[in-house]
Amino acid sequence: MAMRGRQRERLFRAVMYVLFAAGFLAIVLVADWTLIRRNFFNVDLAREMFPDVLLIAARNTIVYTFLAFSFGLVFGLLLALMRLSTIKPYRWLATTYIEIFRGLPALLTIFLIGFGIPIAFQTRWHVLVNITLGLGIVAAAYMAETIRAGIEGVPKGQMEAARSLGMSKTQAMASVIIPQGFRLIIPPLTNELVLLIKDTSLLFVLGTTPATKELLKFGRDLLNTRANATPLIVVGVVYLMITIPLTQLVAVLERRNARAR
Amino acid sequence: MEQASAYAIEVRELHKSFGDLEVLKGIDFTVAPGEVVCVIGPSGSGKSTLLRCVNRLEEPTSGSILIDGEDITDPDADVDGLRSRIGMVFQQFNLFPHLSVTRNLTLAQLRVRKRSKREAIEVAHANLERVGLSDKLDAYPAHLSGGQQQRVAIARALSMDPDMMMFDEPTSALDPELVGEVLGVMRLLATEGMTMMVVTHEMGFAKEVADRVVFMDDGIVVEESPPQQLLQDPRHERTRRFLQLVN
Repeated sequence: MAMRGRQRERLFRAVMYVLFAAGFLAIVLVADWTLIRRNFFNVDLAREMFPDVLLIAARNTIVYTFLAFSFGLVFGLLLALMRLSTIKPYRWLATTYIEIFRGLPALLTIFLIGFGIPIAFQTRWHVLVNITLGLGIVAAAYMAETIRAGIEGVPKGQMEAARSLGMSKTQAMASVIIPQGFRLIIPPLTNELVLLIKDTSLLFVLGTTPATKELLKFGRDLLNTRANATPLIVVGVVYLMITIPLTQLVAVLERRNARAR
Repeated sequence: MEQASAYAIEVRELHKSFGDLEVLKGIDFTVAPGEVVCVIGPSGSGKSTLLRCVNRLEEPTSGSILIDGEDITDPDADVDGLRSRIGMVFQQFNLFPHLSVTRNLTLAQLRVRKRSKREAIEVAHANLERVGLSDKLDAYPAHLSGGQQQRVAIARALSMDPDMMMFDEPTSALDPELVGEVLGVMRLLATEGMTMMVVTHEMGFAKEVADRVVFMDDGIVVEESPPQQLLQDPRHERTRRFLQLVN
């Protein structure tokens, strides 16, 4: 009986492999490869995109991400500390902020910063300010919750030990609790960074000049003018070249965190 | 303003409740300068809470606590300054895992005592030598055994030059073979004349080192006397029953 069971298992696996091969073969045979190559993998068009796709578009994507992430981190830490405050109004304020901006589409915030405020107050901020705030305001809301979890994840005895040495609450937070909390949340913060990289693609709504295009806008404009999808493939690959190393890094860090505990 | 007090620690009519649960039901307790007092009793008897009230890691519900004659339950009391004079050693060591051994010992010296980095490091290294860990200056806590971690924790407290040391079940989280090295350091401190309050289950240590043993049960001090008497010939039935259980 045992033998029969194993045979059946082997037969099942063989059938699955055959199915896979058949499906793969069907796609290869049916697809119009000339058409696909011309529209998605046009080497000449791809070559034209360099070096601008890296020097302008990818660079802008990275700069915008960095700005928004830095703002989100600093403001997120402030919000996290407010949420943990013993003073109620601060807690309410932080909670309200976090709930609002986690609940709204990121695009709404970007429009609000880029158009809502300039129209209302008849002001114009520098485009980098709009970008930093447009993405950073939402990022701060998410990061605040992550940072709070990190701070709360530090064992209670750490605060007690620091206080028993005569350190004030602020000193203990700054030299003992927050450094340990951040160590715990490096993986989720890196995930946050990856999300932000992708969200920079929403910034096109603020309007761009050739010098301020980020990756997706850069690819989309070429798609329109050249009526060809190759630019999207190229910028897609550039995105992945940035994001996949980061997600791999997260995996490594998570493994290391798991070992340390 | 400071009146001379006969006691390093003087606790009067101390009550402490957590919600509806009254953990300390009127404690009178003293430790004289240079005295080593061991507090024993079943778990839940309130002995750790008493110790934690003394440096205000717990807020007393009522009663008064005087440290060197200074009332620390006063709302205007300088709690941080007070704590920096009372060394505290925890059951779980509570070393700072993100800092090296030396940095564990210098952090509060720099931030609280405002010592120069050089002086702080000198003090740290002297205290590590005192607990026999001169070879672990740059190690991180995770790479030390439990006994070594607890000795580092003692050295960290000593680096603040405290007037007294408090130990909250310092050997309860240790593997049996590591208990001796920690008790050895504590014995050394006692012979050096350090004022010590020790919550412990180590009856051998209490018998040998303590000047006085205090037995607590159910939130009150049941009896206190020199170790020989309390451990061998207790007056109260509750004490007798407890000692039979632990021996």
